[in-house]
Amino acid sequence: MMTMLGGEPFLLVSKQEQQNYPLYIRSVPSDSELKFHYTVHTSLDVVEEKVSAVGKVIVDQRELYLGLLYPTEDYKVYGYVTNSKVKFVIVVDSSNTSLRDNEIRSMFRKLHNSFTDVMCNPFYNPGDPIQSKVFDSMVSSMMVQTC
Amino acid sequence: MSVPDYMQCAEDHQTVLVVVQPVGMVPEDHFFRIYKRIISVNQVSIRDSQRLLYIRYRHHYPPENNDWGDFQTHRKVVGLIAVTTCSSAKEWPQTFDRFHGQREVFGATLYDSRLLVFGLQGEIAEQSRTDVAFYPSFDRCEDVEKRVEDFVESIFIVLESKRLDRATDKSGDKIPLLCVPFEKKDFVGLDTDSRHYKKRCQGRMRKHVGDLCLQAGMLQDALVHYHMAVELLRSVNDFLWLGAALEGLCSASVIYHYPGGTAGKSSGRKPSISQAADAGKRHRPGAQEVLIDPGALTTNGISADTSSEIGRTKNCLSPEDIIEKYKEAISYYGKYKNAGVIELEACVKAVRVLAIQKRAMEASEFLQNAVYINLGQLSEEEKIQRYSILSELYELIGFHRKSAFFKRVAAMQCVAPTISEPGWRACYKLLLETLPGYSLSLDPKDFCKGTHRGWAAVQMRLLHELVYASRRMGNPGLSVRHLSFLLQTMLDFLSDQEKKEVTQSLENYTSKCPGGMEIITLPDGLKLPPVPFTKLPIVKSVKLLNLPVSLRPHKVKGLLGQNVTTKSPFIYSPIIMHSRGEERCKKIDFQWVQGDVCEVQLMVYNPMPFELRVENMGLLTSGVEFESLPAALSLPAESGLYPVTLVGVPRTAGSITVNGYHTSVFGVTSDCLLDNLPGLKTSGCAVEVVPALPRLQLSTSLPRSAHSLMPPSGEELSNSVSVQLFNGETQQLFITLENIGTELLETLEVTYKMVNTKEKIFGEFLSWDLQGPLSQLPLKPSQTVTIAVDIRVKLDFSGQENLLQDLNDDGISITGLPISSPLRQVLKPRAENKPISAEANKTEYNHIKTLEAILHFKYSGGLGQMQGYYRELLLGVHVDVEPSVFFTRVSALPATSTRQCHLLLDVFNSTEHELTVSARNNQDVVLHASECQRMAIQVDKLDVDSLPEPDEETLRFASPRQLEEERQQVQGYQVNSKLGITWSIISFHLQNRTSVSFFVTL
Repeated sequence: MMTMLGGEPFLLVSKQEQQNYPLYIRSVPSDSELKFHYTVHTSLDVVEEKVSAVGKVIVDQRELYLGLLYPTEDYKVYGYVTNSKVKFVIVVDSSNTSLRDNEIRSMFRKLHNSFTDVMCNPFYNPGDPIQSKVFDSMVSSMMVQTC
Repeated sequence: MSVPDYMQCAEDHQTVLVVVQPVGMVPEDHFFRIYKRIISVNQVSIRDSQRLLYIRYRHHYPPENNDWGDFQTHRKVVGLIAVTTCSSAKEWPQTFDRFHGQREVFGATLYDSRLLVFGLQGEIAEQSRTDVAFYPSFDRCEDVEKRVEDFVESIFIVLESKRLDRATDKSGDKIPLLCVPFEKKDFVGLDTDSRHYKKRCQGRMRKHVGDLCLQAGMLQDALVHYHMAVELLRSVNDFLWLGAALEGLCSASVIYHYPGGTAGKSSGRKPSISQAADAGKRHRPGAQEVLIDPGALTTNGISADTSSEIGRTKNCLSPEDIIEKYKEAISYYGKYKNAGVIELEACVKAVRVLAIQKRAMEASEFLQNAVYINLGQLSEEEKIQRYSILSELYELIGFHRKSAFFKRVAAMQCVAPTISEPGWRACYKLLLETLPGYSLSLDPKDFCKGTHRGWAAVQMRLLHELVYASRRMGNPGLSVRHLSFLLQTMLDFLSDQEKKEVTQSLENYTSKCPGGMEIITLPDGLKLPPVPFTKLPIVKSVKLLNLPVSLRPHKVKGLLGQNVTTKSPFIYSPIIMHSRGEERCKKIDFQWVQGDVCEVQLMVYNPMPFELRVENMGLLTSGVEFESLPAALSLPAESGLYPVTLVGVPRTAGSITVNGYHTSVFGVTSDCLLDNLPGLKTSGCAVEVVPALPRLQLSTSLPRSAHSLMPPSGEELSNSVSVQLFNGETQQLFITLENIGTELLETLEVTYKMVNTKEKIFGEFLSWDLQGPLSQLPLKPSQTVTIAVDIRVKLDFSGQENLLQDLNDDGISITGLPISSPLRQVLKPRAENKPISAEANKTEYNHIKTLEAILHFKYSGGLGQMQGYYRELLLGVHVDVEPSVFFTRVSALPATSTRQCHLLLDVFNSTEHELTVSARNNQDVVLHASECQRMAIQVDKLDVDSLPEPDEETLRFASPRQLEEERQQVQGYQVNSKLGITWSIISFHLQNRTSVSFFVTL
């Protein structure tokens, strides 16, 4: 089970007002989607904090993977941020022990590749909600694998 | 201890706790007035010692928390100030007893207490007592602060003596074991002589002394004692107290590092001259007594030597260590279920420190831990408090979303189903505070730029909750406002079902409280701006319409003409003067007229999945006084673009700007300004209104024309008539003009213009006499004037191709009249009249000629005339001319008189009617349909002098045809008047058709 999100890309430069809004959200099962909205929304605080911390410390060789953002009772929230400040968030069930850091990392990488393809589409307007079918099916296949 | 104090911060460890309570009957407002004055004395500088004592006041303190006073001395109530009223001496003993009773509650821990008595006068009040202060009334108690200061000093004396007492106690053989309430039973029957036990006693006492030192303003002593306590307690695994010692260490270090305090607000500390200098001073006293190097201090307390600084800081934790130690302490507290409150408070304190250090990630970890601390059964109120404080702390570390999340949880807790009296008001207030966290503002203007980007699902939920809470608060106006906002801003995210639901509930609410455009101000000052429904319906374009052609005002051209710009002194310049300003303000090149109905066309779109009823839709304008005539419309579901015309009447002249429109949808009235509409197409919204002009309505005696004329220069006809005439016929057309406006008609001008001038017309096509009608001017409203217009058709039907084809070669033999000789245009009859074949019918139809003309009626009056405006009515006149009588052969014979001659005419009747032809001095000739007869007319010979040049000349100068035509025309008239040939159709006599002469000459 997971939810993911693309955040505001770097187009809005103003750092104080980096309002992140979802580009894409998907969850399985979809009945408790609102809950995930809340989870992902609040996790952005941590993402922002981590991103700003990364900016301060490491200059070269940026690690895109942010790791576990925070654990809740039922879910683990992982984060990833691209160089253009688009954020990916994956929420997985805490009980799912088969997903270790490495698996999550590779999921993010896949997601990032697919997102890059979306951005390469000349008809896609950066900042618009993602409606690509290819992206959709990729996410679906990833979700099926993990569930 | 079960009630956590979420407001605690690290520096509270150095305060002494004083409880201020009312005793007996004290009006609340009076009490709090006094309370406020008392708490203003929150730090007292102790005489002779340069130390500062900090006081924390509480007006309510649970006694069970007091039991933890040994554990952390700042939790111990050491002072009590009772406030009471007493009106007579008789009541005094009773009052004093009550004070005693109150003292008993905290009795064990109190160092000192005071009673402030208000209202008592007389003998008792005269006596001077240290523990009681008398004031005649709440208004006359000038020295309350002074008394409190004295009181604090007396507390300090006790505190100091205790500290010295305990500090020296270690030499004594028996150190009592300090313990927290829940430990007491654990130590029953323990061997009090073991080393382990002794160490434990020592450690705890050390820690206690550390607390006292900290309170007494001796930071360095405190640090030393804490360090020792940590060593001792760690060795005996006394985790709870080890935690407390570590926390004490942290607190002391925090106080050292952050003299500004960590509570966020500088409530505790008086703003001192300089924080740094203050910090130096505050720590010096401790150093003076304990520090290894007192010689380093100068007399005024300011150290000149940095070595003392080093010495002072050596026991102090570094900022990083503080957090480490807090973590450790909290992990020790966590081992004890009963120390939940302590753990929670430690977390809160650590978060505040981290917030100061701007280490949000670590702070969030502490908070995350705090969330999971179980405090047993919490009351609903405590839960709300807990969530609110979590929210506040998250806000403190910059986690706005998380903060909003917890605030929302707190809000929901206010109205949990388990609460008997749900606090909707509190819930609403808390929900409002969450708005920034979800990046929502309640101003619809923030949403009008492009597509909305945000957490729609979450935001919608919040808005729904706001609506519900405000409804339960009993404020339908607020519900309407929030619901309108939801509908307006989240429209794109609502499903069809939700749209229906939202609008339904909106209609329910508005039935009780219609929504308007006023700003709603909440009691706490928040303003809710109005929410105009610019999306219900969506307006795509706005276009101001010109008046109908007949009502358009025209400007009388001045001498210079309108196009000459007065800006340039040159008549012609290749440099085009760009008038950007005009473009920008989008001035429209037509005008509206005062008092006339003007129209604006909107293209609207209904985004709803059901029929949208828009009521009271009208224009919002500025500039001239404008009377808007609202319309109601009903748009089908998901309609495409739909034109709507809004009308109104300008009441004064000047410039008018259409700013927007107002609607009433679902019971909410909105004023939508065009400036705020995204993606709106408009061709300009400002238009000139000219002063009122009269308005004429035109009616004619002839039937309206079926086919409309195409006027040449894009003008439009207000009316047109058509009539069918035989060639040579004259018809009178009565035109009635009625003044249907409100202004006087003062001037009227009539002209006409032929439309297709291919045909050659003889004589005036239209003629009239204006003398009569003009004498009736000025024409008052609703009066009429009639103009008679004669329509004369005199056409040349000769030379038509089909006619020529039909020509018999019986030829032209014109004799006698020299004028006729050169002419080839003498009319020929057709060989067969009325062939029944279809082809022939067609040919016959083609013989009909058409004459078209436009009558212009220029009229003006009223104020508009003074400004040089007039109006124009155009009447199209369409005449189908049928051929009537042809003269197929013309010849002349000399008559008996030499001055006269006989003119022989072969007359052919091409109509289907029987007609008579008559000429002057002649009898009528009756011609049946398609009959040809010869008639002879005796006429005077033409005067040769009046005739133009001879034939050869004419032929020679044939090239200037115009000249010739002119000449011929003159001749024609002359001949015509001489002959005076008329014809009339007998069967039409009753219809009063007058037939007039027709002669084809030349």
